[in-house]
Amino acid sequence: METGNDIASMQMMNGNEAVARGAFEAGVKVAAGYPGTPSTEVMEYTHQRYSDIYCEWATNEKVAVEVAIGASFAGYRSLALMKTVGLHVAADALGGAAGSQINGGLVLVVSDDVGRLAGDDYNDCRHYGNMFNIPVLEPSDSQDAKDLMVKAFEISEEYSTPVILKTTSVTCKTTSPVKIDENYTYEAKCRDKYPVSFSKVIMTTMMMKAKGSEHPKLTKCFNDFPAHMKRLAEDSNDAGFNKLELNGKKIGVITAGTPYYYAKEVLPEASFLKLGLVMPLPERKIRELAEHVDELYVIEDGHDVIEKNIKDLGISVIGKELWPKFPVMTRFTPDIIEEKLVPDAPKRTPQEGVPFRLPVSCAGCSHLFVSNVLKKHKIKAAADVTCGLIGCFPHMESYSLQKCMGSSISLAHGYNLAKENKENFVAMIGDGGFWATGINGLMNLIYNNGQSTVIIVDNNCLAMTGGQNVASSEFGFNYKPENKLEIAKVCEAVGVKDITTVDPYDIGSLEEAIVNAVNAKTNSVVIVQKPCVTKFKLPKDTPSYIDQEQCVQCRKCINVGCLAIESKKAKDGSVKIVINEDICTGCRLCSTVCHKEAIKN
Amino acid sequence: MQDTGKNIIIAGVGGQGILLFSNLLSKFYMKLGYELKISDVIGLGQRGGGVESHFRYSNKPVLSPFIKAGDVDFVISFEQTETLRYLHSLKEDGVVFSSTYELTSTSVNARLEKPMAECKTEMIKRSENKTFIIDPEEHKSPDFNISKMMNVVMLGYYAEFRGYSHDDMIQVVKDNVPAKFIEGNLKAYEKGAAIARAELATKESVSSNC
Repeated sequence: METGNDIASMQMMNGNEAVARGAFEAGVKVAAGYPGTPSTEVMEYTHQRYSDIYCEWATNEKVAVEVAIGASFAGYRSLALMKTVGLHVAADALGGAAGSQINGGLVLVVSDDVGRLAGDDYNDCRHYGNMFNIPVLEPSDSQDAKDLMVKAFEISEEYSTPVILKTTSVTCKTTSPVKIDENYTYEAKCRDKYPVSFSKVIMTTMMMKAKGSEHPKLTKCFNDFPAHMKRLAEDSNDAGFNKLELNGKKIGVITAGTPYYYAKEVLPEASFLKLGLVMPLPERKIRELAEHVDELYVIEDGHDVIEKNIKDLGISVIGKELWPKFPVMTRFTPDIIEEKLVPDAPKRTPQEGVPFRLPVSCAGCSHLFVSNVLKKHKIKAAADVTCGLIGCFPHMESYSLQKCMGSSISLAHGYNLAKENKENFVAMIGDGGFWATGINGLMNLIYNNGQSTVIIVDNNCLAMTGGQNVASSEFGFNYKPENKLEIAKVCEAVGVKDITTVDPYDIGSLEEAIVNAVNAKTNSVVIVQKPCVTKFKLPKDTPSYIDQEQCVQCRKCINVGCLAIESKKAKDGSVKIVINEDICTGCRLCSTVCHKEAIKN
Repeated sequence: MQDTGKNIIIAGVGGQGILLFSNLLSKFYMKLGYELKISDVIGLGQRGGGVESHFRYSNKPVLSPFIKAGDVDFVISFEQTETLRYLHSLKEDGVVFSSTYELTSTSVNARLEKPMAECKTEMIKRSENKTFIIDPEEHKSPDFNISKMMNVVMLGYYAEFRGYSHDDMIQVVKDNVPAKFIEGNLKAYEKGAAIARAELATKESVSSNC
């Protein structure tokens, strides 16, 4: 057991809290990011607890990375936060920073959604490490997350490179003890080393075949990043964050992240190389382990990135041939490791036929109103990345096209171009998606003479990630009323011909606005304005109920897709459609679809 | 310290206060000096999705954030469809605490899947594990909203079952719940402890009759 003093400095933190603490202890000055499950809370904790650090939710991930790069060039340690799908948006900015001279440490905290918990595509941010030749660190618990966060800034400055700290849905949402130095006092760290920093494109263009390339005017731009990475790879053999545990000689495991702990629990006798730095690899340590054991496995979540890189060193390891990756497996668990490496382990079979849960919209959500108007009038539409995308799932079927954040406006534009505006294919987008990149799609649509209708569902926040501020929100870390952007004014300024703003609860007006906009032979925007019911805890009206005498079980109300309406089986086996009065907000949307007037208040 | 640690799965649907429950429990076990690891698995959407919390306390450092199927000592569930999802992961002498509350799965509402043919409560009772069922309808009270505070009812129930000091557990509740909710939560806690006392008395008398 710990002594009293140690307990006082041990705190329970989840991975997101630990990363925020690490940023504080590293002396970060500027933090910019874009919300994304599971790492959104890193910024929220940083802002709440460490007010010395400037925080902002940027309009998108590319902007966030650029802000961080600027602050880093100014000499101050800076971080950019996003999930891996967000790094795709910011990849161009990161590519610019990679290979260039770094003043203040520059760290990207990027989270992979292993297990597809938030339903994202199956991504692995470590590929960017390979592509851009930059280091990637991967913590396996909260203590590790805090320590590696500090280490990431040191590496960034020592080896003049941006660094990715990769977290996952498991590290972010796992709470474990972290040792805190209670006496730490914050100081923004500053290092003003290079007078210029250019992307490697400019740098190499200037150097290429240039006579007199030894001239100081050119050499001051030059950053020999491959040499830095080689030096880091060599140094990482002796670094504490790559931990070699030589135990039994039968099984050896090379691992990183939480899979280290799964494997450690299932295979207590095995030898381990736990990587804190997964890119570049410590070749000598890997060879040492390979020589020590009979069988060498790589156990890593996500893609086979470590595995491939080790195989490229000419070392043979067993990985995905034993544990095939997606879609066979979405992430490791201790059970998956045990099944393959502990032959006589007892098998456990889950109960069959337990129904799965598709995502559902909150009761009273404005998206439900929009989805139902589109469905009623058989208007074909594209959804965006927003709570409204729940309307794509088979229980709703309101949309026929959905891709990435901010895409729906351009998707509709492309569709209507190809169909020569004969189908009035509509774009639905949230306020978050609109500011993220949707606005680019709208400007493009206007100046290319597009005729599409765009429905912007403005709920005053990024609802899906828990209600963070966007440019048109009436709150936020740096909120000032005079700086709030107006969606309608921006639409007008970029040249939208027809703009209507409606309250979705006035369903007659909503229906009229959408139908009119679709039928107008011009481009148009319908702004559907209602704050997010969950974030802003909107007051509830009297809950509705279904009069079972009048209900004919046509299920029209259940197909509205509201969380409060359920199909319930009674003890006698009969099925009833009922409204859960604890969940119902009394918004009355369901009563508008009932032909029997069975839904009452 | 006789209890070297336990593995607990806390389950339910979004909005039921599962994370508060595991937070309160973590504060309690920390005071007792245990090592902890708690991993929350939250599905898509703000409301209505499945939520599970893998809660492990031990007198040694905890390794895996996820509990292996077969290693679970307690399943504490606030929704009975979710209870069924985790029954198989219990140890032979593992114990189930389950509310009879049910939120119909979207897939059943949308007729993508058939509802389960059998009564879920009966399926849970029939499992080979020791089971404790709490029916929120049966224990409705004018003093607090049981559908909102089932988490704290369950906390009182669990504390009684484990023979923990109610004073210590109530202190944890007082320290971690917003002031305006303390009164209702304490009523909920006491209710849970009272239900458990009555239930444990019958279970014991039943077993002594056998």
